[in-house]
Amino acid sequence: MIRTTFQSSNTWRILLLACSCVGSVSVAQAADSLVKACAKDGEFVIGFSQANNAEPYRQHVNDELEAAAKAVPQFTLQIADGAGNVNTQTSQVDNFITQKVDLLLISPFEAAPLTPAVKRAMDAGIPVIELDRKTNGEAGKDYTAFIGGDNYKIALAAGEYTSKTLLPDGGEAAVLEGLPSSTPAVERLNGFKDGVKANPKIQIVAEQAADWLPDKAQTAFAAMLQAHPDIKMVYASNDMMAAGALLAAKGAGKSVKIIGTDGLPGPAGGIEAVAKGDWSATFTYPTGAKEAIDMAKSILLDCASSVPATVTVDTTAITPDNAKQMMGK
Amino acid sequence: MSEQQITSNPAIQPAKRIDPLAVIVRFQSLIGLVLVFAGGIIFSPRRHGVILFLQPDNIANIVRAVSETGIIAIGMTFVIITAGIDLSVGATLGLASVVTATLMVSGGFGLITTVVAVLLMGTCFGLVQGAISSKFRLEAFIVTLAGLQAARGLALVVSGNQYINISYGEGPGLAPPIFAILGGRLFGNVVPVATIVFLIFAFIATILLNTTRFGRYVYAVGGNERAARISGVPVSAIKIAVYAITGFASALAGIVHAGQFNFGSANDGTGYELTAIAAVVIGGTSLFGGAGSMVGTIAGTIMLGALANILQLNNITPAMQLLATAAIIVLAAVLQSLVRRREGLGR
Repeated sequence: MIRTTFQSSNTWRILLLACSCVGSVSVAQAADSLVKACAKDGEFVIGFSQANNAEPYRQHVNDELEAAAKAVPQFTLQIADGAGNVNTQTSQVDNFITQKVDLLLISPFEAAPLTPAVKRAMDAGIPVIELDRKTNGEAGKDYTAFIGGDNYKIALAAGEYTSKTLLPDGGEAAVLEGLPSSTPAVERLNGFKDGVKANPKIQIVAEQAADWLPDKAQTAFAAMLQAHPDIKMVYASNDMMAAGALLAAKGAGKSVKIIGTDGLPGPAGGIEAVAKGDWSATFTYPTGAKEAIDMAKSILLDCASSVPATVTVDTTAITPDNAKQMMGK
Repeated sequence: MSEQQITSNPAIQPAKRIDPLAVIVRFQSLIGLVLVFAGGIIFSPRRHGVILFLQPDNIANIVRAVSETGIIAIGMTFVIITAGIDLSVGATLGLASVVTATLMVSGGFGLITTVVAVLLMGTCFGLVQGAISSKFRLEAFIVTLAGLQAARGLALVVSGNQYINISYGEGPGLAPPIFAILGGRLFGNVVPVATIVFLIFAFIATILLNTTRFGRYVYAVGGNERAARISGVPVSAIKIAVYAITGFASALAGIVHAGQFNFGSANDGTGYELTAIAAVVIGGTSLFGGAGSMVGTIAGTIMLGALANILQLNNITPAMQLLATAAIIVLAAVLQSLVRRREGLGR
């Protein structure tokens, strides 16, 4: 856990002055709470602008957020699905501003396009917690806080694990990339490549984009195995593609070491695949859902005057050593 | 409708009587728009007695969100009236957004040069598709399907598989600050600039379709190609021209996209072709060609946006939005087919 606290209550005071009044102010508050209408016994609507419900990982984030919000009787959570389209997501954030939600949670589909919408929310006096992906600007100033994992570091850890533990004697490796030109795809690709540099005997012989999809990953990896029969391991930028790679390896009758990313729970998730011995490892990409609702509690219920601007949720390596214990969590 | 059928063959002239159903179809999307707005007002959440749906900010959100697909739908209307289809529009938007960002950021080109170049590129892209389809007598569906793949591929090549952020300022690597106006609002910070572009384009396109010889030819080609050819309409040229128009429209939407979101990505615009086709069909334009209206398309576009907005304000799931859109498309198509059957067009 790395926590960088942004402590400059003066900035918050200025922000507060810039804020317009939200709804009706019930109780007299301490002058420097983040939102004026905060109260222990209030009723609050939290709007969550999700980038794309079609991705299983994001559905998992929604589930965790709903569970965490349900535990707080004062909170009502509304989820809007941006459907992987920056234009749709922008209009949904605007709709939340129209509704005057008390707090905005957002996983922006991409950074730059959603930056103006986040600014509009902040200008309207709505605190913004960014989850998993950031918009441009400075946490604690342009938006209230960022909570999430670090794609580059997670992939770097996977690369280092490959160098040291999986292929200490080197060999041929392959990479399945996410949707080309999307931020997480680029970060995970670069992180893994930098991680395997630690072992000069490892060569990455094939790199293909499979757009996060299992069927595309199966096709791409089958072709890779045709072209490079000696591939010893494949790094998949998400669990779905790792599942596709496993099917391709089985189809070719080869045993290839597979690393996934996300570490999704459940019967089709990566944790179980490692526990069963199908994959060598997967690296979790924590949702930060619980941390986000906790932060919303401190802003809306406890009238916090400041919150940590950046909360980095660390990855956990799921390996054969710990997969069985992690399944129950 | 009948005045647009310039054919020398009297047999296919529709009967000249006022059919109430035909009147409804003529204005179906406007009626739909009124109904959706009425529903929006009735079902709008209220805050301190204020109807949120009617807040100027909310109306601005609606018309901003539909401006890109609206621009594309306007181009698509010309193509569909000629009984064609263009599936490459969304991918062309992505390509145009990437090229816009690249020219300004790494190319260091100015605003005018960039805009003209991108519009020219889109127009040429459409021209090529129209020419291939017309020269080799290929289905537009197939040619533009290939065009979709080609545009996405080109966009990935141009962007080097990376998304391109646009930062503003003076000097190399920065776009002219004036370009950011596309993401802004005018007239007391209410009317989104993207919407203004959409409405100006809509106005020009309406004039072009309803009052010029070119517009009459577009209807003629879609109504009865053989008859049009016999009566001296340059059918091939018209067919190529309508694809050039959709190419131009997609490029314009791509420029608006890049300006609104300070960003170019090869993946943007995915699925826009289907949203645009939906808006055109709801607007009363027939996929069989020969009939349709630009005003209908504009109303259909705004109606879909208003529907999405009111459902979200009430926190209704995206699933319901898709189902509601499906129902509206089917209803629009059924109404049209009833009218065609009555007019004895047999389809």
